[in-house]
Amino acid sequence: MSHHKLEVKDLNFMYPDGHKAINGISFCIHHGESVGIVGANGAGKSTLLMLIMGILFPTKGQVLIGDVKVTKSTLPMIRQRLGMVFQDPDDQLFMTTVYDDVAFGPRNYKLDEDEVHERVIEALELVGIAHLKDRAPFKLSGGEKRVAAMATVLSMQPDVLIMDEPTSSLDPKSRRRIMNILKGFDHTKIITSHDLDMIFDICHRVIVIKDGGIAADGITSEILSDSKLMDLCGLEVPLALQNCPCCRAKKS
Amino acid sequence: MASIMNSLYNMRLLDDLSQKDTFVHRLHPLVKLLATVVYLTVVVSFGRYEISSLLVFLFYPVLIFAFAEIPVVPILKRLFIIEPLIIGIGILNPIFDHQFITFYGIEFSRGWVTLFSIIIKSGLTVTSALLLVATTGMDKLSGAMRMLKIPRIFIMQLLLTYRYITVMMEEVARTLRAYSLRAPNQKGIHRSAWGSLAGQLILRTFDRAQRIYQSMCLRGYTGEYNIGRQSPMNLYDLLYLTVWCLFFIIARIYNIPFIIGSFVTGGI
Repeated sequence: MSHHKLEVKDLNFMYPDGHKAINGISFCIHHGESVGIVGANGAGKSTLLMLIMGILFPTKGQVLIGDVKVTKSTLPMIRQRLGMVFQDPDDQLFMTTVYDDVAFGPRNYKLDEDEVHERVIEALELVGIAHLKDRAPFKLSGGEKRVAAMATVLSMQPDVLIMDEPTSSLDPKSRRRIMNILKGFDHTKIITSHDLDMIFDICHRVIVIKDGGIAADGITSEILSDSKLMDLCGLEVPLALQNCPCCRAKKS
Repeated sequence: MASIMNSLYNMRLLDDLSQKDTFVHRLHPLVKLLATVVYLTVVVSFGRYEISSLLVFLFYPVLIFAFAEIPVVPILKRLFIIEPLIIGIGILNPIFDHQFITFYGIEFSRGWVTLFSIIIKSGLTVTSALLLVATTGMDKLSGAMRMLKIPRIFIMQLLLTYRYITVMMEEVARTLRAYSLRAPNQKGIHRSAWGSLAGQLILRTFDRAQRIYQSMCLRGYTGEYNIGRQSPMNLYDLLYLTVWCLFFIIARIYNIPFIIGSFVTGGI
């Protein structure tokens, strides 16, 4: 399905203060792939996501969704197909009830109110918080807010899900719940995170960003177990791949 | 610090109250908006020296409090916040108004009457506006305003201010908490830190507002704030509006407390 393909070609971006955040990045993500984008703080992960979503526009290069280039005129169509979940769910939940927040996207696309209702309930059930639909978002726990933020994007039925640090500042149970929800999605997924164990668990492919460029791109288990590469990029081998902390025995 | 967190919680109280399910909450938002507008217009149309005719207008907020099960104290607290401003406007009236009136043998400046009338009017109008928000909710209210063809830009201004003010207050509360933890012996904030603190807050608020705006744009926001389908008005809604409007108009034309008083004392 080529229309689900996401292609980034020789992407460059410089902030107005002269800081070059993205430096010649190219990759192609196909339908159904789960791709983790990892890198140290300030490596350019968030900027890359903003360029893909059309919040920022590249100084050079292009982003293609299917065969459509991300430009100002194609943004409405692009944003219907790409759904982004922000790192801070408070940025995404600004209405008075969870229902209204989840309905915000579909209503903006002028869908019939019956269809909006169907989509909202479907999205809430998908993430398992249908019982919270009438609650005020500010009264939810951190984990509930995170899944509510996911539902706000899922209700738009995007082809590609883009998530910025989906498991940051969550307790272990909430983190596991988010991971299970993510695993259950058939969407193409792009996930940026410092939680390398989560990336190892969910993503088949990983792109390592260093100083605005790609340091490595390949199969997750191969890249994340390369301790030299990880160290060079300001990262660590995931705990799941490290030796046993007690007896130092190698994990099989 | 606690007071800021409290006021933050209190700000959201109106939203919470608007989620109740009572007869008043179920009424069509447009009907409640129109009834409030007529009420405000009638209340402010009274002359400076008319107090007794105004008293009958207490019925409206009292009945809404009762039917909508709205707690009285939080609403009155909000009313008292603006009372100093109202008193500030009218406090000089007793000095500048040189005419005197006699009430039960006591002679005093008519300025006191105007001050008292301003306080009553402000009390009635502000309470009714707060009750409108507490029984309707800002989102539904904006839908009602759109039905009245009020320009979209004004509604957006109102809604976004209402939303972002809580965001800003959260930022303020966080910054103040961080400040107070590192300055335990200080009361308030030292003036040397005012500038940088305010600057920080503005930048952080811009930042947060920018992210919220981006998240809105990513979900197809183009300037139109859609609040879903409004249910059509039914007979009860029209009846509610008609009864209140009739009451307001009759109370405006006739001094009901005076008529009742005369009736009871045998004047009629």
